[in-house]
Amino acid sequence: MSFDLNFIGILIGAIMASSVPLILAASGELITERSGVLNLGVEGMMIIGAISGFALMVVTDNLFFAVIGSMLSGLIISLIFGLLTQSLLTNHVATGLALTIFGIGMSAMIGKNFVGIPGKEFPLLFINLKESIPFLGPIFFGHSIILYFAFGLPFLTNYFLKKTKTGLIIRAVGDSPTSASNQGINVTLVRYSCILYGGAMCGLAGAYLSLIYTPQWIENMTGGRGWIALALVVFATWSPIKVLIGALIFGGITILQLHMQAVGLRIPVQLLSALPYIMTIIVLVVISRDSRKIKLNTPTSLGQIFYKEK
Amino acid sequence: MNTKLKVSEISKIYPGCVANDKVSLEFGSGKIYALLGENGAGKSTLVKILSGVVKPDEGQVFLNNESIKLNSPLDAKKNNIGMVFQHFNLFETLSVFENLSIDSDKKNEDLRVLVNDILKKYNFKIELDIPVLNLSAGQKQKVEIIRCLIRNPKVLIMDEPTSVLTEQETDDLFISLKQFSKDGILIIYITHKLKEVLSLCDEVAVMRKGKVVSVSNTIDEKIESLANKMVGENINTIKKKINNFKNSKEILKISNLNFKSDDPYETNLNNLNLSLKKGECLGIAGISGNGQNELFQILSGEIITEGTSIMFRNKEIGKLNPRERREYLMAFSPEDRISQAAVPELKIYENVALNNFKSSNFFEKGLVNEKKIKEHSKKILSNFSVNTDNVELKSQFLSGGNLQKLIIGRELITSPELLVCFNPTWGLDVGAINYIHETLIQINEQGKSSILISTDNDELLKLSDRICVIYKGKLSKIMNADTVTAEKLGILMGGGSID
Repeated sequence: MSFDLNFIGILIGAIMASSVPLILAASGELITERSGVLNLGVEGMMIIGAISGFALMVVTDNLFFAVIGSMLSGLIISLIFGLLTQSLLTNHVATGLALTIFGIGMSAMIGKNFVGIPGKEFPLLFINLKESIPFLGPIFFGHSIILYFAFGLPFLTNYFLKKTKTGLIIRAVGDSPTSASNQGINVTLVRYSCILYGGAMCGLAGAYLSLIYTPQWIENMTGGRGWIALALVVFATWSPIKVLIGALIFGGITILQLHMQAVGLRIPVQLLSALPYIMTIIVLVVISRDSRKIKLNTPTSLGQIFYKEK
Repeated sequence: MNTKLKVSEISKIYPGCVANDKVSLEFGSGKIYALLGENGAGKSTLVKILSGVVKPDEGQVFLNNESIKLNSPLDAKKNNIGMVFQHFNLFETLSVFENLSIDSDKKNEDLRVLVNDILKKYNFKIELDIPVLNLSAGQKQKVEIIRCLIRNPKVLIMDEPTSVLTEQETDDLFISLKQFSKDGILIIYITHKLKEVLSLCDEVAVMRKGKVVSVSNTIDEKIESLANKMVGENINTIKKKINNFKNSKEILKISNLNFKSDDPYETNLNNLNLSLKKGECLGIAGISGNGQNELFQILSGEIITEGTSIMFRNKEIGKLNPRERREYLMAFSPEDRISQAAVPELKIYENVALNNFKSSNFFEKGLVNEKKIKEHSKKILSNFSVNTDNVELKSQFLSGGNLQKLIIGRELITSPELLVCFNPTWGLDVGAINYIHETLIQINEQGKSSILISTDNDELLKLSDRICVIYKGKLSKIMNADTVTAEKLGILMGGGSID
């Protein structure tokens, strides 16, 4: 293995690709949580997105439909969560857990007929530039459009939450739904919208896995990434930019430890496999130490059921 | 411009309680109206109806002789009815300006100009770009008021606005309210504090048990007449005997106590010194947030201190936890009844059991001795006039006054030598306040000591033998209560000095 610049470029490109599902799912969940809703169904919504995307690709032979369909399916699953928690006022945590269990089971059932079918090649952008520019080429070019979208998303989310009126309303609802309601804000509508958006992003994150990252259907193929995304949101103290950093660290160390395993370092494999989890938590805890900022970013009403006085 | 607001035959029934029973009232601009009543008299329900938060079962609201529908807070806003709730409706983590802009249709630049004009006109001093959680209660209230003023209100409703304010802040508020009234805004002022009605309002409507029992001009009323209308019976005012404690035994001594907190939202305590004699009540005044929380926690053992800085009955107790301190016959009644003193979801007897002693035998071999606890609880309920004898009732269904009686009762039934209480009558009605005050005087007469940390100066002057003021984590000189006046306290509470 040679440590030339181009190889490092390719490595960084791979790290970026591996962090895309985390960024997408975590950014979506971040909006949901900022409105005060704790949806633990991220893993379930991702895996439903993954199977629907793949199944639609096989059936329609159209990648565009597959991507849109995966987002819609994530959205529909999250709608179930919305109905239960917002209209029927069930407990957020229990409902979210149920959603994940449901998603995993449901996807396995649908997926039975799709095991072993090869995926379709997803178009990658600027493929010539990737090969012609050393080092920077593999970092910036030759990715799918979803990757570019994913890397822009945290910045968009940050801008949206901080600078737009809708973002302000979402933060207000997450801070105090009662106050928001007394101000004439339709809390239920805001929370529904945020739940649906989160669902769509998780669906997209799943589709990225089954259509682009490892283009095929394997049962349980999200492999806990939904849980990592959830943890990222919390450890990043609800800051979109820190979510991006956390996702990159997690993706980075995942790839690096694979290489370390391949090189045959004398470190137990189990420890290496645990490394991404440990390092991500350490780094995020260190960069988010400012207790003042945590207080300002944390949605105070997170997980609280809201009902309107009649 | 004249504004007339009329509520006609408003009724609202909750399960088991008639909150408003055919309430009819008329208001006109240029005057300040008081809506007076005990907790649970139906004031807040009426106000919630006027602000569109709650829909009435029957009745109508007329603004300038036109019937208006108030189905949501938005409707109230559209009809230029502004409302400042007792519990602030602010978003703590958002900045002041974000709080103001959230329901304004104006462009941010225009809104900023408007807000700055309002700040200047009414001489409010508030930074717009800091998070609301950094503001004092008085400033938060001003933000609420500004939020109403932005919309050019015809009617401004204030729900118990002074319950969180200091004396100075209250004075400021009254000046502003009079100014608003002069500017043509109709003001409805909800309160259970009689003094405020007399000093601020032109007309007063008294509510009791959901009904309006009297409407009159405040110049025709006195504190006693209003109190009797409000409670529906004659109240006797209590006064404490002045005692001399020169020869009494010292029971508690705190010397050179320092506390430094890691939390930026807590107050550090500097070089505290105090001593307390047997049978004495020491009052600690101060604007909330000046270290009262920390002081209470240090006394109760929620914060552990090193060394010999706290001596209680000649024992070092600084390192003992609250349970151990209770074994040494200290008792505590924290400020927040619901989150600190009791668990609202638990039944009365379960809350009583939380305060267990080795001697009380509530638990045997790891099992709960329900019978014993229930007997003990029944005794508390009857000894301390809690208006239920059902120990199975969940504590959340007790009114504030009854919950406070239960808590004080739970603490006192073991006859402690020292009771530390923090704002024991906060938000209670006259009847309950009277009861708690009588109880506190009684324990002093029985030779037990008490420390009363309170933000209510009248209460402190009434109950304390000696008083000091806490300001920015420092205690003032301790003064004999008969030499202290409300004015003196006010100066010390604001950081001034007196000689």
